[in-house]
Amino acid sequence: MKRQMGMGDQCLYRVVWVGAFSLVVLGIAIFAILFWGTAKFVLAHGLNQSLLGLIYEPTQGRFGLLPFMAGSLVVSGIALAVAIPLALSLAVTVVDMTPRRTETVRQILSGLVAIPSVVFGWWGLSVVVPAIRWISGHSGFSLLAAGLVLAVMILPTLSLLSINALTRVRVQWVEGSLALGATPDQTMGRLILAVSRFPLLEASIIALGRALGETMAVQMVIGGRVLLPHGLVSPGATLTTQILTDMSLLPPGVSGHHVLDFMALLLLAAMYGMVVLLERTRRMSP
Amino acid sequence: MRGIGWHRAALAGSLLVGIMFLGIIADLVWQSLGVLSWHFLWSPPSEMGRGGIGPEVRNTLVMVGAASLISLPLGLAGAVFRVEYSGAPLFVKVFDRVRFTFLSLPTIVVGLLVYQWVIVGLGWPLSIRSGIVALVVMNWPFVVNVGIEALEGVPDTCREGSLALGATRSQTLRRIVFPTALPALVAGLGAATARLLGESAALIFTAGMNVAVHWSWGMPGETLAVHLWYLRTESLAPYANAEAAGTGVVLLAVVALVLYLTQKIAHWLKPRDYSRKSA
Amino acid sequence: MNTKPAPDLVVQNLSVHYGEQVALKDVTLQIEGGQILALIGPSGCGKSTFLRVLNRLVDRSAEAHCTGEVFLGDTRVLDPKTDVVALRRAVGMVFQQPSAFPFSVFDNVAYGPRLQGVRSASRLRSLVESSLKQAALWDEVRGKLRRPAASLSGGQQQRLCIARALAVSPEVLLLDEPTAALDPLSTAKIEELILALRGDYTFVLVTHNLQQAARVSDVTAFFRQGRLIEIAPTRDMFTAPKCEETEEFLTGRYE
Ligand SMILES: Nc1ncnc2c1ncn2[C@@H]1O[C@H](COP(=O)(O)OP(=O)(O)O)[C@@H](O)[C@H]1O
Ligand SMILES: [Mg+2]
Repeated sequence: MKRQMGMGDQCLYRVVWVGAFSLVVLGIAIFAILFWGTAKFVLAHGLNQSLLGLIYEPTQGRFGLLPFMAGSLVVSGIALAVAIPLALSLAVTVVDMTPRRTETVRQILSGLVAIPSVVFGWWGLSVVVPAIRWISGHSGFSLLAAGLVLAVMILPTLSLLSINALTRVRVQWVEGSLALGATPDQTMGRLILAVSRFPLLEASIIALGRALGETMAVQMVIGGRVLLPHGLVSPGATLTTQILTDMSLLPPGVSGHHVLDFMALLLLAAMYGMVVLLERTRRMSP
Repeated sequence: MRGIGWHRAALAGSLLVGIMFLGIIADLVWQSLGVLSWHFLWSPPSEMGRGGIGPEVRNTLVMVGAASLISLPLGLAGAVFRVEYSGAPLFVKVFDRVRFTFLSLPTIVVGLLVYQWVIVGLGWPLSIRSGIVALVVMNWPFVVNVGIEALEGVPDTCREGSLALGATRSQTLRRIVFPTALPALVAGLGAATARLLGESAALIFTAGMNVAVHWSWGMPGETLAVHLWYLRTESLAPYANAEAAGTGVVLLAVVALVLYLTQKIAHWLKPRDYSRKSA
Repeated sequence: MNTKPAPDLVVQNLSVHYGEQVALKDVTLQIEGGQILALIGPSGCGKSTFLRVLNRLVDRSAEAHCTGEVFLGDTRVLDPKTDVVALRRAVGMVFQQPSAFPFSVFDNVAYGPRLQGVRSASRLRSLVESSLKQAALWDEVRGKLRRPAASLSGGQQQRLCIARALAVSPEVLLLDEPTAALDPLSTAKIEELILALRGDYTFVLVTHNLQQAARVSDVTAFFRQGRLIEIAPTRDMFTAPKCEETEEFLTGRYE
């Protein structure tokens, strides 16, 4: 027997239905608008020149995006390369603590997650850039500086997720390993990290998403050079920072404004790819 | 003891992390000491130095407050539908993909889109209300996420128990599910608010980098985070670095306060154990 | 197979505290190498703690504090200078909850040898095969070595854990209620297995199943509230217990 929905039920159902569907509609609309803008751009300026081009001179009609894609990848790569070992260190140290202490560390980290990115940008300007300037003799504004700032910025998120991954490993497994004469290091490497490799991969993907999408902290220290960077201490730009820079240089109406949609669409596509990848890794987790 | 070399290295790494974050915050506070004062907190900014951040504090609180209030029902509706009503696996799959992608969308893209739609399309000025639109767009999927996690934390046995007693879906939701999910919801909303407080990329081209002396929804609305960025990249004012640090300290204080209060409220809302008193 | 003789177990005035709480108090007992000692007693009387002292897994609880002397053969178990890793290799342990690693059957058994640096594939294969045969599991899993251990039944997983312990050639085996979560048929198989291995290893078996203790053990020790109430050859204990408390427990009048 199917029960009749009451008035309140129907009303509520309609309201939440509208809420859920409008999120989906807005999400798809974002994609459609960026896609539309990209299409206009590609029709006007061609695809190969921009997607694979090395020269970015909007006033000359040249829109090579490769330097920015390279910048985004290199900067996020540095960030992950620096942050993953540190986050793992923290997680390895914390899993052996009592549950109460672990909880305290979690609380502190979730506070640090909320630090605004401009604060990290400020820190980059007052510490990282001068340090690189001092060591390398260059200006200090560089991909390396941006990568290091991002590493610190994603560290709380990455640590928190890594701690969650490692603490989910069952205590019987850990004791089983120790009882077989495994040293603490062996237990960590061959059991705990091996068991949690997919959750850890998941954490890294999430952190990569944050790094790729960050704008302000990167913009403050990267130097904003639109040429293909020739080294880690050379200045550069990323997709996100270039959107910020060009919003004032290429306002709507100006020829080439839609290159911004193109860059945004590339970012959106990267995020979508990561979401699909995350679905896969979640299925692999024990 | 044998075989703890990696553990030692990890401990060293952890100490490094701790020292680094302490260092960042200590540096920020230290450099801000020269400017922090009541005067700084209340006065308008000045390119001549010795300005303050009064309007920025006000703009930040107003914009984040309004955006949170608007995105709360929007987000909760989506979460309730997703957890309590949606049955179709295909819908769930599409919905989840859209919300996760939307959630990880760089906020500069949100800024770009709102700039195109609202500033250019609708002809709104660079203003507080345009900034609120940007914040709502970026907060919406986050609140949906918070809502979904909170609602999924409510065990199904609670729902079934209530439905078995003859309660309708909406009664169950109001009387059982919502109160149980409330602590997690409040804590999650605290995190959402903190994220909005620190936002800058989506606001530079929607709310702008200026402040108006006379407040109105249609006037430019620079926030604390945007001001910090502006001071440290474009401003020529003397003491810009110290003022940037001061702005950062105030921003961190507001974020910390929001997180602290929501945690407290969440803790207070948790169902307590009365069994001892009844004895 | 095990070549070293199974060591005697000597415990003198062993006490264990978890912070303020006393888990074991002044326990003194002794069994010969190759014998099977069964520990019985109500929950919380310290049986698991006793096992965890023997392989120093008790070290994992920061607030645990042990006093007294425990010898396994010549090894002074509680001596801070004792190499815990070597001790644990010599003392295998099987837990109540199935603790098979979330790896394949093969990797579960090969885990211990690999820790000790065994790399050669053929050597590992023969070790895995002999351990699984010893644990009477080989016939059931021979074609499924690459399957996840979780695909085995509960009883098979428990025997897999025994095989895993045997693969590092221990001298002592500690079994903490190994059949508590199993059906009668699987329980019978494990008991058979223990009896087949008797003599090659010194066994300490914790069990809630009194018949089990009666069936497989040589010596039975009855614990209550952290104290050793009575220890005697199993047959004597079950036919003519000396203490009244033991009799009450054995006849089910206890608690
Ligand atoms: N890690 C621990 N921390 C504190 N107390 C413990 C710990 N492990 C066991 N205990 C306490 O020690 C006593 C003995 O426990 P245990 O050895 O597990 O008993 P049994 O295995 O006989 O049920 C119990 O009271 C238990 O609460
Ligand atoms: Mg026990």
